[in-house]
Amino acid sequence: MEQVYLDHAATTPPRAEVIAAMCASLQGQWGNPSSLYATGIRALEAVERARERVAAVLGARAEEIVFTASGTEADNHALVGATIAGEGRGDHIVTSAIEHHAIEHTAEFLERRGVRVTYLPVDSTGLVDPAAVGRAITDRTLLVSIMHANNEVGTLQPIAEIGAICRKRGVLFHTDAVQTFGHVPINVTEMRIDLLSLAAHKLYGPKGVGALFVRTGVKLEPYLHGGGQELGRRASTENTPGIVGLGEAARLAGAEMTQESAHVSALRDRVISGVLANVPEVALTGHPTRRLPNNASFAIRGTEGQALVLELDSEGFAVSSGSACSSGSYRPSHVLLALGLPPEAARGSLRVSVGRDTTPEQVERFLGVLPSVVARVRKTLETRT
Amino acid sequence: MTKRAPHLTIDLRGTPCPLNWVKTKLRLEGMEAGQLLEIVVDDGNPAKNVPRSAEEEGHRVVEVSPTAEGVRVVIEKG
Repeated sequence: MEQVYLDHAATTPPRAEVIAAMCASLQGQWGNPSSLYATGIRALEAVERARERVAAVLGARAEEIVFTASGTEADNHALVGATIAGEGRGDHIVTSAIEHHAIEHTAEFLERRGVRVTYLPVDSTGLVDPAAVGRAITDRTLLVSIMHANNEVGTLQPIAEIGAICRKRGVLFHTDAVQTFGHVPINVTEMRIDLLSLAAHKLYGPKGVGALFVRTGVKLEPYLHGGGQELGRRASTENTPGIVGLGEAARLAGAEMTQESAHVSALRDRVISGVLANVPEVALTGHPTRRLPNNASFAIRGTEGQALVLELDSEGFAVSSGSACSSGSYRPSHVLLALGLPPEAARGSLRVSVGRDTTPEQVERFLGVLPSVVARVRKTLETRT
Repeated sequence: MTKRAPHLTIDLRGTPCPLNWVKTKLRLEGMEAGQLLEIVVDDGNPAKNVPRSAEEEGHRVVEVSPTAEGVRVVIEKG
């Protein structure tokens, strides 16, 4: 049975154009971009072309893009690099309670080394209050890191407002844009963003490559030490085919953003209205309107997310849940708990994320199957208790 | 003869070889044949290497002139 893929927030299938560009790069641009001879320069050209393409989608300068091995590395680099570079000037970071683990766990790592971290709460829709960011900033604050959009519930944060506050207060502003880059318009100048993380595999590019935007003039300690690649900002021989794949994915995403957003948001809205109409005791999680164009997420009472995912898998649908089974006990997602959901409601989380290849027919088939899957899971859990 | 205004100017001072040439090449790629690209590079190897690479790839180097800030190179896209 062919699986209907409705988990584009987890990863996306690489586009044919991306695969073609990467294959050509593996064959013809295999030189070391740091080498001074023609074979190396061919690879360097490919890397720099990709850098320009990524920068163009952000309204940034090519020199402000540092390629990394992932969005997670970019997040780690931003937090750790800014903290070390700011030693002596400050020792405080502000972030939110619903960040991706790449930020949350890095902040905790820094806390164990004496950095103070403020985790701002969010409202029931997942929004951070920009005024609360302003109140949390002290004269010891080095960095504010607030994600552009939440990966579980899709809420889009008021990034431009937060950026304006940070700029006014002279504090660096980082945003994890892994879910939004290539899907939602971003202008780093208008939004006053100093640091931004992105990952290729969320926009139909390859895994194993991401980037960190570093505004000109921002002081950031390197995270990887070694050679002088990336103008001394990130050691390690460049992953040329991966970077080429990211560049091609960014080019296509930038060119097609409006069209893709209209397509996926129409499907998302159909998922939301269909689930709310056909499944009893279900609530939409995240913001009703300020959300990622592809994200529909729910809390389904009396179910467990993992059981829903497995049952839907057996019906031919790939979706995900924020809750994970650990040694037989279900841990509700920290995001849903921060939104104020009771743990029993947060356990029944379901995330459906559509993509550019998702069709209305696939969505209708999913909506046709879901009520019986929910009923089955509820019955199983009732029997168990 | 009236001097033609460059279509684009880029400052490549501080950009090492061969990255300065690669950036020049990427800019030239986006231009029409006959248009002028003005670049400013550091004196020394960059001022020698970038014009040489441009000529090797079929462009015409119209001007190389040292200034107080660096070396001004004007390239006509071939």
